[in-house]
Amino acid sequence: MSLKLVWRFLLSHPVRSILTCGSIVVAVFLLCVLRTTVVALGSSIEAAAANRLVVQSSVSLFVPLPLSYQPKIEQVDGIEHVIKWTWFGGYYKDPQNFFAQFAVDAAATMEVYPEMEITEGSYDAFLASRQGALIGRDLAEKYEWSVGDRVPIIGTIYPRADGGAWEFDVEAIYDSRNPAFGEQTLLFHHTYFEEVLKAEQGPEALAAGVYIMRIEPGTEPTTVMAAVDALFESGPQRVQTTTEAEFNRQFVTMFGGIPTFLSWIGGSVLFAILLAAINTMLMAGRERTRILGVMKAMGFGSGSVFALFVVEAVVLCGAGGLIGVAFAKLVETPIAVALSTMMPGFVLTTETILAGLAVAVGVGLVAALVPAIAASRLRPVEALRAEV
Amino acid sequence: MALVPFKYTLRSLFVRRSATLLTVFGTGATVAVLAGVLSLNKGFEALFEAHGREDLVVFLRPGAQSEGESAFSDDRADILLKSLAEVATNASGAPLASAESFLAVRLRKTDGGETNVPIRGVQPATFAIRAGEIRIVEGRNFQPGSDEVIVGRPVSERIRDASVGDVLTLNTTPFRVVGIFEHDGPLDSEVWGDVERMRVALKRPVYNRVLAQLRPDAEVAALAARLEDDRQVPAKVQTEREYLRNQTGMLSGALQFLGFFLAVIMGTAAVFTGTNTMLSALASRVHEIGILLSTGFRPMAISLAFLLESLLLGLLGGVVGCLLALPLNGVETGTTNWQTFTEVAFAFRVTPDVLVRAVGFALILGLLGGTWPAVRAARLDPTDALRRR
Amino acid sequence: MSEQALIRVRDVTKTYRRGGEELRVLEELSLEMQEGSFYALMGPSGSGKTTLLNLVGGLDRADSGEVWVGDDELNGMAGAELARWRADHVGFVFQGFNLIPVLTARENVELPLKLAPIGAKRRREQAEYALELVGLADRAKHRPSQLSGGQEQRVAIARALATDPLLLLADEPTGDLDRASADQILDLLQRLNGELSKTILMVTHDPAAAERAQTIVHLDKGRLGRLEHPAAAPTATTGS
Ligand SMILES: Nc1ncnc2c1ncn2[C@@H]1O[C@H](COP(=O)(O)OP(=O)(O)OP(=O)(O)O)[C@@H](O)[C@H]1O
Ligand SMILES: [Mg+2]
Repeated sequence: MSLKLVWRFLLSHPVRSILTCGSIVVAVFLLCVLRTTVVALGSSIEAAAANRLVVQSSVSLFVPLPLSYQPKIEQVDGIEHVIKWTWFGGYYKDPQNFFAQFAVDAAATMEVYPEMEITEGSYDAFLASRQGALIGRDLAEKYEWSVGDRVPIIGTIYPRADGGAWEFDVEAIYDSRNPAFGEQTLLFHHTYFEEVLKAEQGPEALAAGVYIMRIEPGTEPTTVMAAVDALFESGPQRVQTTTEAEFNRQFVTMFGGIPTFLSWIGGSVLFAILLAAINTMLMAGRERTRILGVMKAMGFGSGSVFALFVVEAVVLCGAGGLIGVAFAKLVETPIAVALSTMMPGFVLTTETILAGLAVAVGVGLVAALVPAIAASRLRPVEALRAEV
Repeated sequence: MALVPFKYTLRSLFVRRSATLLTVFGTGATVAVLAGVLSLNKGFEALFEAHGREDLVVFLRPGAQSEGESAFSDDRADILLKSLAEVATNASGAPLASAESFLAVRLRKTDGGETNVPIRGVQPATFAIRAGEIRIVEGRNFQPGSDEVIVGRPVSERIRDASVGDVLTLNTTPFRVVGIFEHDGPLDSEVWGDVERMRVALKRPVYNRVLAQLRPDAEVAALAARLEDDRQVPAKVQTEREYLRNQTGMLSGALQFLGFFLAVIMGTAAVFTGTNTMLSALASRVHEIGILLSTGFRPMAISLAFLLESLLLGLLGGVVGCLLALPLNGVETGTTNWQTFTEVAFAFRVTPDVLVRAVGFALILGLLGGTWPAVRAARLDPTDALRRR
Repeated sequence: MSEQALIRVRDVTKTYRRGGEELRVLEELSLEMQEGSFYALMGPSGSGKTTLLNLVGGLDRADSGEVWVGDDELNGMAGAELARWRADHVGFVFQGFNLIPVLTARENVELPLKLAPIGAKRRREQAEYALELVGLADRAKHRPSQLSGGQEQRVAIARALATDPLLLLADEPTGDLDRASADQILDLLQRLNGELSKTILMVTHDPAAAERAQTIVHLDKGRLGRLEHPAAAPTATTGS
């Protein structure tokens, strides 16, 4: 079928074509963003490392584990490293400036989290500094912190006795190769954490949030998990050892109905643009009855006129899809940065891009259907007689 | 100025009914999404803010954002419980104040998986403070000092072993469920038991917050200022309503942003569709407009007729959107209170306020969609219009 | 003239049904037309002229009877086959010109050539040649809206000619035109008949137009009336 004719048809109603294409742009953009959000919500499960296990209290996420557990866990076969990993829950200056901070066993952290790559400062400097901190690239950029800066963090769970802030020295900045392990995290020494707590609240305040371990290659995780759980079967704090994916899942499920809700919104968006596209194609069909009659009289077959509408709709919607995806790509980084504390992993995947384009083309196909069928069934005699 | 008869507008919508329907439903879907987000937010707000009382104050450790982060040792809690002049007293002169423990405990859901359920240990004074607010709807209240709990109705439905007669094991201690309670606010999502028994079972050496009812003449601000850097017991003091508002701030903000974002983006698409429809209405009526103009109707009247038609499309879209959103009313959903990482159950609330805003939004869409076609209609040259077709 | 007529309509009946009513438009009609002739078809409104034209052009099918054009019987052909046949054998000219407004004159003329197995270059040449034939080579890039009615109709004729069809069918080609433009169109048709030996069937209400044909066929209430052979009909007017 003549592409030139399709093109001319589209240009013959520039406002209509632009508005329709615009609707598709907006919708595909929105669908991409929504899908990326839903994917990101689950990304911490998808991207979890298979060789990392987490030991947490079986009672509650908020019940810490005794420090005495660490050496016992280290005895279990198949474990390479065990590190303390304690949620600190502080903020910088204002509670709005919220991001993740963890007190960690710094020495083995790089072994357990190889996705971190130090791009500024040095890991050794971090290890050597008592109040040292290792921070993510996004965090550094957001608050304009650089190596050598002293960062005050107010502890909400662990306030200082004098009511002041904890102070950390930025010694190194990491980039993350794992989108689900965000770059908005601050890590500092568990030893320093313990030192302060012991001095201000006494030795009974000392505990670790969770233990994270890296298992040896070839080790069966379930065996290790069972062995660790068995160690503390009779208290004082029972534990629950899971894979990192399972550990992350408990946070993801907290989003509750939100992913479903977002999917529903996506469905409505799809419905709305489908109607918009159908509306446009019906208008196009209606005003072209006579032209189609002439073409059929000339000898153009049903297939050709059918294709005329399909190609037109697909070109129109496909263009909208391309632009929409391009917009989504454009906002990807800003959104990812804005969301990274709450929800790392906002990455526009190839799959999402393809899905966005497929939706656009699909909408075009469906929208073309009614006028295309009508056109292919049109009898030239009647079309020519029609008063249009 | 003579107006174009309203009949023309109605007839035009009817004649091009496929375009009318497609536009109305397209707009309807957009409006329904907005109404959905608004009613989600309404349900959430209703749960938290609307049930926070102004005469109750919550004492937290300074710097704590929520009770999960807060802690008071026994002696400090005792001072707060007994020595504040602002706190109301009961008939026998005892202060209406209660120390509570709070922990998000991992429990298994009836449909599989685990979730964090807030377990609150309370003192008997809590029930005096919340007289009438907490309703036992099944079974009875727990006996002070015993290993018994009562659970909120939604919890009893969602959580395993949480019906009357069941045994709920917390860490290593079994607690018997003896009653189901209802609360119109967020307390509905909790499990309650005796605070001392809870502290033992969960190995918690501290209280998490103190709750107190104030005398009617008490000044919250003054009390807050005084305790902020009290030497003996520094505490952060908020009314319960304030406290709950701070709890929901983040999610409420997120929902409002989502609603706004969707309204703008989907609204744009809806305006485009509306403009398209009205432009095609214009195109198919050029001749008719020529006749109207030549019989003496002013271009302004023609413009108004188009705008009116577009507004009517918007209104219909708004009505359809509301009808689509109405079934959401009362649908229960769950999300998390990100301050305490606990599950909260709440329902969509399609209130009149939500509907009014949704229809208003639809009318704005109609207005925007009709503007350009109306301008074009006003600019038509009568002789040219008559000649066309 | 060949021994067998080019168009042979045999006992054709065409009935339209609208609601419960039956309208017999053509009744047992038979007609022959010779190759290379110019026929005018006249008759009162509603007498079935357009219907007959459409049958001969393969746009419509009769209830019974046969319509032969050369060696092809149209009434027995399936839709797709008929469409292909039309592409190869006929050119239509309509009262309302029916040019495609979004295409230029040349593109309009090229359109039917898309159905022929020829390349873009040949297509263009052929379209330009057809435009030259109707004297509008200089308007090739104009849109229909930029042309006068007479010019539009000449472009439409060029379009009908582009595929070099056996048969040119024109339904009131001058109906919407003023006298001068109409005469120009009629001159053109006559020239096409005379110089290129196109077989032409033209429906008209205008006696002056009908005079230009070699044979005038009268149709009344679906039956064939008398045939006229206007004495003055010059086979070809001036050469160019
Ligand atoms: N699709 C149809 N359905 C019903 N009746 C039809 C249909 N097409 C044509 N007719 C009727 O058949 C009759 C012949 O129509 P036709 O178009 O052949 O007449 P005509 O001679 O070309 O008239 P005119 O000079 O007005 O063009 C008319 O009465 C017309 O109303
Ligand atoms: Mg006719």
